[in-house]
Amino acid sequence: MATSAVARETVFALRRQIAKIEGTLPERLAAPAGERPRARADGDAGGPESDIAPDITIIRRGLAVASPDAFLPTGVERLDATLSGGLPKAALTEIHGLETRNAGAVAGFVLSLVSLILRGQRLPVLWIGTSEIFREAGFPYARGLQGMFGIAPEQLLFSEAAKLTDALWVAEEAAKMTALAAIILEIRGSPQRLDLTATRRLHARAQSAGRPVFLLRQAGEAEPTAAPVRLIVSAAAAASRRTIAGPLAGSIGRPAFTVSIGKSRSALPGQFTLEWNPDEHSFEERREERPENSVAVVSASRGGADPAPAPGTVVAFPAVGSFASGDQPSRPQRPAHIGPRRAG
Amino acid sequence: MISHRDRSAQRISALDERAEALHLKRGMGIADARAMHPSIDIVEADPEADRRLLEGLADWCDRYTPLVALDGADGLYLDVTGCTHLFGGERAMLDDILARFFQQGFDVRAGLAATPGAAWAAARFCGDRIVPSGEEEALLAPLPLAALRIEADIRASLESVGLRTAGAVMAAPRAPLARRFGSTLLLRLDQALGRLDEAVSPRLPVAPLSVERHLAEPVVLTAEIERLVEMLAVTLKIDLERRGEGARMLALLLFRVDGAVSRIAVGTSRPLREPKLIQRLFHERLTALEQDIDAGYGFDLVRLSVLAAAAFDMQQADLTGEIEDDGADIALFADRIRARLGDNAVLKAVAVESHLPERAVATIPFSEAPQRTTPPKRSDRKDAPPTTIFPPERPIRLFRSPEPIEVPATEMPEGPPMNFRWRRALYRVARAEGPERIAPEWWQKGEEDAPTRDYFRIEDSDGRRYWLYRQGLYGAGQPSPRWFMHGVFA
Repeated sequence: MATSAVARETVFALRRQIAKIEGTLPERLAAPAGERPRARADGDAGGPESDIAPDITIIRRGLAVASPDAFLPTGVERLDATLSGGLPKAALTEIHGLETRNAGAVAGFVLSLVSLILRGQRLPVLWIGTSEIFREAGFPYARGLQGMFGIAPEQLLFSEAAKLTDALWVAEEAAKMTALAAIILEIRGSPQRLDLTATRRLHARAQSAGRPVFLLRQAGEAEPTAAPVRLIVSAAAAASRRTIAGPLAGSIGRPAFTVSIGKSRSALPGQFTLEWNPDEHSFEERREERPENSVAVVSASRGGADPAPAPGTVVAFPAVGSFASGDQPSRPQRPAHIGPRRAG
Repeated sequence: MISHRDRSAQRISALDERAEALHLKRGMGIADARAMHPSIDIVEADPEADRRLLEGLADWCDRYTPLVALDGADGLYLDVTGCTHLFGGERAMLDDILARFFQQGFDVRAGLAATPGAAWAAARFCGDRIVPSGEEEALLAPLPLAALRIEADIRASLESVGLRTAGAVMAAPRAPLARRFGSTLLLRLDQALGRLDEAVSPRLPVAPLSVERHLAEPVVLTAEIERLVEMLAVTLKIDLERRGEGARMLALLLFRVDGAVSRIAVGTSRPLREPKLIQRLFHERLTALEQDIDAGYGFDLVRLSVLAAAAFDMQQADLTGEIEDDGADIALFADRIRARLGDNAVLKAVAVESHLPERAVATIPFSEAPQRTTPPKRSDRKDAPPTTIFPPERPIRLFRSPEPIEVPATEMPEGPPMNFRWRRALYRVARAEGPERIAPEWWQKGEEDAPTRDYFRIEDSDGRRYWLYRQGLYGAGQPSPRWFMHGVFA
């Protein structure tokens, strides 16, 4: 028993290494069928999740995952379920805006994610941008961030680089650090330099430091990226302000975003309209506006009301997963990625 | 031969030995000189370049002493007090200086004396002479009056009364001299003789601490320089620890074999003494400067100086050996970015008491921000009085300078626009909130008559939210108001 446990540990350690090299999320690794019963008999291999996903052994210990909770739940059930748990915390996440004028919405969405991360923490957040984007889209305004997202001015660090190379260098250096809560790298367009290699470097650093790196690409094309998740954010019309007497006509209420999933290893493309609650610092989904979207996404991707068996079905998706998990989707698969984005 | 323009005439300002042999003199008109010798080669004087060269030489002389001062357009003072033993005595040092200058192609004359005045006279009138302390009088006595560093008109009037050497002036009674020729003469005389102290003000501030290494074999590679920096920093750390300080500003001086000196400075946002960290800072700086530093034939002297130091707070480690201070990592990170990309590479936002939106937040370099070693506690927030219960909504991004927009029409004169054109694109306003009137800071100088701004929150037909303002008011006799885009909301 002891030797087999050691052997299993070795296998898992190796698999973790492979997962790290390949960029797969270690949480999604399936244990070989023969080992599963023993793993459950040990009771320690699966961790707390082993009982909800009987055919998956979730590897949580070790170096690959720095924090016990590897996902950042957005708080919107449907989106979390689609992303199977939320956005990966120790990873590079790409957030695209289709036009530079959407920069406010894109930045707002990222800052709400940061605000969710920061809940209870006092670590600083570093926002790196090229001079170009700060000139075109405006410099982050600390007063507004404090009021809307509860991020104190002393928690904010900005780095402005004239050249993209320098911005990337700063981001790579910053991504190694555990003293930062999150890193936001904002660039404009689809520069040649920010290719698959560059994103892979950022992703690897984010993985080893266990900190999220948000790559904001304003007016960027969907290009091959090492980031496991790519979201496309645009502005959505805000709801009216709520008063005791009902909605106040003609007023502009809480900020709203339209988020569509451009790339994800687990989720099918979908579109969501989220509303940020600046008082409670949480997301709410606005469903009544686009019922046709929500129905289509939920039924197509999951088909069950219970989210618990959802990870189990991922294992049955190796063909789809291998398309998406490769860092370089081959030509035929690429339209499958960007197709839904165009539709959204 | 070098000419310069003096009172609308080209005159000789400097000339070489061959020109001197032709009986040409300084101050002679170029036209006269040409008439005497039509074949002479004349170059226009460039005082700026001369100055730069002299400053370069002064930098190079830094290897002998940190106290180097410029003397006029053609001289350097080196205060070598306490430095001579490092070079094997006064004579050896003087020979070394002369030999090295000669190798670089300069014709240099040097004098060494206990007072700047005597050294000046020795260098210019005796050449390569060391004047022992107390023999200044003997040195000066036979020299002409020019050796006293006095102005030409005083010199001329002294000569007119028959005082032609410094010795004659010294022998003359002091009171009439002061009365007739002013106090400058006696001041210079006393300074040269050591009766009055004369301070030589060094060109560069003297570093409180510096360590250096003379190299038998010049180094060229950046990696070797970095290793040297770390070795020097180890030595520096001992001194810093003894003083209880850490470095806030460090400079690395690289003396090239052929005389050029590179000066590389890095700043730190908190006191630093760890050699490894110092080396990393210089690593970033050297990487950034790789193109600019020309190693040439190599550097034969490397010096690491602390330009500014500050008290170093020791921190108590807890039992696990961890120091509870997240700021240190960030500070080092910011220093490295700064070393590579410049002072403004890492910015920090600081709230300022102002109701003008663009002034309410100042972004300052990280190193200048007030340091807070521990995260602020919740309690100190309560001390601040609550400003308003509902703070006005502010955008999350603000344009550095408000961008003008075209507003063709508004529904009401004081109301929000119906549509507007920004960056050549037309936006249709779906909803608007406002106005929020923000008055200028009329108590500030130059802003007494600044127009007021009426801010509107605007949502366009695509759901994007903007912050616009109208500058000025509608009214007769006033210029028509202008509209600006100031920020965007989430």
